[in-house]
Amino acid sequence: MALLEVTSLTKYYGDTAALRDISFEVKKGEFVAVIGPSGSGKTTLIRCINRLIPASDGKIIFDKENILNLRGNALRKARAKIGMIFQHYNLVERLSVIENVLHGRLGYKSSLEGMFGVYSEEEKEKAFNIITLLGLDDYVYRRCDQLSGGQMQRVGIARALVQDPRMILCDEPISSLDPSSSKVIMDYLKKIQKEFGITVVVNLHQVDVAKKYAQRILGFNGGSLVFDDEPGELSKKQIYKIYGTEAGELIID
Amino acid sequence: MTALIRNRRTGKIRVRKTQSSNLYMRGVLLVLAAITVYTLVTIDTKGADIAAASAKTAEYFWLMLTQPKAVPSHFGIQDGGGIGTFFSALHMLGITLALAFLTTLFGGIVALFLGVFAAGNLTNKKVSNGIKSFLAVVRAVPTVLWVLIFAIGAGLGSVAAVIGMSFHTISHLVKAYSESFEEIDEGVIEALRASGANWFQIVFQAVIPSSVSYILSWTFIRFEINFAVAVAMGAAAGAGGIGFQLFMAAGYFFDIREIGFITYLILAVSLIMEYLATRLKEKYHIHNGA
Repeated sequence: MALLEVTSLTKYYGDTAALRDISFEVKKGEFVAVIGPSGSGKTTLIRCINRLIPASDGKIIFDKENILNLRGNALRKARAKIGMIFQHYNLVERLSVIENVLHGRLGYKSSLEGMFGVYSEEEKEKAFNIITLLGLDDYVYRRCDQLSGGQMQRVGIARALVQDPRMILCDEPISSLDPSSSKVIMDYLKKIQKEFGITVVVNLHQVDVAKKYAQRILGFNGGSLVFDDEPGELSKKQIYKIYGTEAGELIID
Repeated sequence: MTALIRNRRTGKIRVRKTQSSNLYMRGVLLVLAAITVYTLVTIDTKGADIAAASAKTAEYFWLMLTQPKAVPSHFGIQDGGGIGTFFSALHMLGITLALAFLTTLFGGIVALFLGVFAAGNLTNKKVSNGIKSFLAVVRAVPTVLWVLIFAIGAGLGSVAAVIGMSFHTISHLVKAYSESFEEIDEGVIEALRASGANWFQIVFQAVIPSSVSYILSWTFIRFEINFAVAVAMGAAAGAGGIGFQLFMAAGYFFDIREIGFITYLILAVSLIMEYLATRLKEKYHIHNGA
């Protein structure tokens, strides 16, 4: 059953098309990687799904609702069901790890409770359990500007997980990390998908990583979806089609 | 390919391109320098002996700095003096500090709210520009003038001083706060929006915590400014405190040594505030590697 159904999604920035007539489906519990050169529309796609960027045309059905029609509180509720992880972690660095993780609950809170950071005991326990799961229990009260990049990204994952999301979107989660931290982060994402059955859609610049972790790969070029299949089908020819001949050679070697 | 630009005479390679704005700047500076020299040469001194006047000024300065002494009766102390005079002076200093504290507090609270609405990344351009341009006008008028303007309604005294000083404090702090809000990482706002947080939650949970060190340091700077202004207001607007005493010593009793005494008191307060500001910064500016 499809959890996310994107139909004829189009996005224009002025006169330039960032996404041209994109259609695909993501099944519940699937691990999908999105690859393509810079400027091919990967980031725009991810941000259109949770409406950080308004789409120009098309339909995005998530959990039986068309995201593009939602307003106000309904949009907040839909966003709460979709976690998001960023390249630059996007944490409030002056706050502690647990405060940042609890930010994931804001979508479920009233304005006043959220403003003053009033969280229930269950929410705090849940946040602590997730922090422990991600191996950060020694850092619960540490300020985030004292953490390493890999640790900050794990806080980012914890913040997304505490939302009880149906799906997690990741925008180049490992592009600012060294290879060993990258592996840790990808392993956690895989674990989340396998053990909790959460759908994961991840933008990647590393084709080998996409092939290793993903069950399905979407390849973008110039705002068009040019590849949508299992990693095994991603042939040399397909990589050339996604990245162009010159860059493709570098990737395949 | 762009060719390298060489100096016409020396033939050396330039690293900065001469731009017309630089030329205008040089022109303005040259004209100002010329006017300054012309004025100094042609100034009408009304026959005053510059050398003698300078010597007298230096002498008074020396007297003020080396022999500070307060006259008890000037501080309302009739018999004995000594420690009583000192406490009376401290009390006046307290009034001036209270004036600075109150106006900074009022100004800070109002500015925090207005600052959020003036930050371009948190509201729409119209609201932000509206608030910013209105406050730019407020800021252009000096604090003393605002106090005198409010004195029309409230009468000369501490009430007009509090209103006028708070008014100017707001305009200054809104600019400082809103600019530090605009500096914060757009990604943090995006992340909270993505998790379903609404505007108020984002402001209180991400924007304000991220800029708390800027808010603190700007507020403290404004407190220091307000202390200096409060001293002046004591004299100019009759707001009382140590400033009024300074005005009396200078304009009424013409007691140079008492001016010295009061100056040292004010200096001591400034030093204490500087020390506190440094401690505050140490406490809130902890970064990586701690």
